[in-house]
Amino acid sequence: MRNLIRKLNEVVSEIPDGSQIALGGFAITRNPVAFVNELIRQGKKGLEVYEIIGGMDADLLVGAGCVKTYSYGGGSLDRFGKIDRINEAIEKGLVDVREYSGLSISLRFLAGSLGIPYIPTKTILGTDVLDNLAKKDSAIRVEASPFTGERVVLLEALQPEYSVIHAPFADTKGNVIIEGPVWDVELAKSAKKLIVTVDKIISNEYVKQHPGKVVIPGVYTYAVVEVPYGAYPTSVYKAYDYDGELLSSYAKVNKTQEEFNKFVQQYILGTSDHYGFIDKVRGLDKLSRIQADPVYGYTKS
Amino acid sequence: MAMKFSTNELMAVTAARMLEDGQNIVVGLGLPQIATLLAKNTHAPNLNIIYEIGVINPESVDAGVGIADPRLWYKGEYFTSFIGSLGQILQRGLVDVGFLGGLQIDKYGNINSTLIRNGNDIKHFTGSGGAADIATFAKKTFIIMKHEKRKIVDAVDFITTVGYLRGGNSRSDQGMPMCSDMRVITNLCVFNFNNEERVLQLESIHAGVTGQDIWNNTGVHVSIPAEVKTTDEPTDEEIYMLRNKIDPERLYI
Repeated sequence: MRNLIRKLNEVVSEIPDGSQIALGGFAITRNPVAFVNELIRQGKKGLEVYEIIGGMDADLLVGAGCVKTYSYGGGSLDRFGKIDRINEAIEKGLVDVREYSGLSISLRFLAGSLGIPYIPTKTILGTDVLDNLAKKDSAIRVEASPFTGERVVLLEALQPEYSVIHAPFADTKGNVIIEGPVWDVELAKSAKKLIVTVDKIISNEYVKQHPGKVVIPGVYTYAVVEVPYGAYPTSVYKAYDYDGELLSSYAKVNKTQEEFNKFVQQYILGTSDHYGFIDKVRGLDKLSRIQADPVYGYTKS
Repeated sequence: MAMKFSTNELMAVTAARMLEDGQNIVVGLGLPQIATLLAKNTHAPNLNIIYEIGVINPESVDAGVGIADPRLWYKGEYFTSFIGSLGQILQRGLVDVGFLGGLQIDKYGNINSTLIRNGNDIKHFTGSGGAADIATFAKKTFIIMKHEKRKIVDAVDFITTVGYLRGGNSRSDQGMPMCSDMRVITNLCVFNFNNEERVLQLESIHAGVTGQDIWNNTGVHVSIPAEVKTTDEPTDEEIYMLRNKIDPERLYI
């Protein structure tokens, strides 16, 4: 059997510049931050990035100059602030950003996961979201339904070269366990190569005893990378909370390219791995203070 | 003598009373969530509350910073994906009310949550998330927002979310499902669009607010009928629930 377990720097090194990468993060939860930081360390360029709801992960990549096109359904750092490296890229036309709604971009992944060429919907009809996409994205068209004649938006299926999600657990065969909502499950299942970073690799024996907990079976998985706290400073439900203080300070840093560059230089390029990043940006002892309460799923104060 | 109440409390109560028991509601954070929880704890115990991230009927005990905060998922009954929530529930046609906020709204109820123009410059904000999808498929759409001249305008800078588009039948002419009722609850009044032209009109004015206040703070002309209704006041029970059970930390009220 092919060994799915890989090291982070190795699996990132095989991703060519200009690749399509779908990211699984959502605002301030389950962002594949360790993976994104490694893309930045290795200086990837020209990436075509997709995400359902943007968060810190894509903001870091766009700000670090790794991204040529970014397609997403809106995004923020929730109440901590905005994803201002992406907002500024839109305002100044620095990156080709394609704005969908949450459902319309999710449907592209669903179609990809089903192996069908496109999928019809009525969402975003009448909006400037549709008007803007129709001008520059060949993946979207408005047609008459062949059955009823009514206007429908046709969305081309998307099977990204890579999808990267962060999960609390996977086993050695690539069976992925996620607790809580799973907005990224179709994004994961649509990928040509699914890379899953996990806080912990668990045994196949555990999966055999709890098959109902698996949300993505190993048939989809290309690589499993163990990176403890790989979503830090975003949260993993039932494992660890977000670090609100760091997210607040990041939401200030990302307001200007100058401050952002200093952040990247010091904490990402200036460290060699994710533990190094956490240690330098906050101190490893912070991790003991964001452990999730097993009942509540977050840090109960 | 009834209890005194804040404007936010009045807005939450007014919105809560628009919800009916047994409805399925897709709701965003902030006052929409407070209003929905108030309804569920008073006259509508069988509401199904759906967060777009894929969480149904949670019973949060701690306030969260957004729908991506696990505090909002506590004691959920079902976890799913965007396709599960916005696709197989919302687009499927099972949502009665979509409850949204917005940066800017126009006289036909179109909402902008994407960008503000200033000459040739733009300032970009959050974008749609599920908002465009919710306003497309929910049978009714309710908006809670702050009443400011630059926020209630003739035409929004960007249509993120369609209300009644260009009025009349223009929404259904685009092939969109019909929205049977749309309300805007502000700190000054309640608007609806229940006329043939589907244009914003006053439904009620909050006590103490004058027609001049409405005109001064609205960026589009609104006619003020001589006999406009005054918004019903909250009951003591509603205020008690808001302060002691729904939002004891007073984050939103």
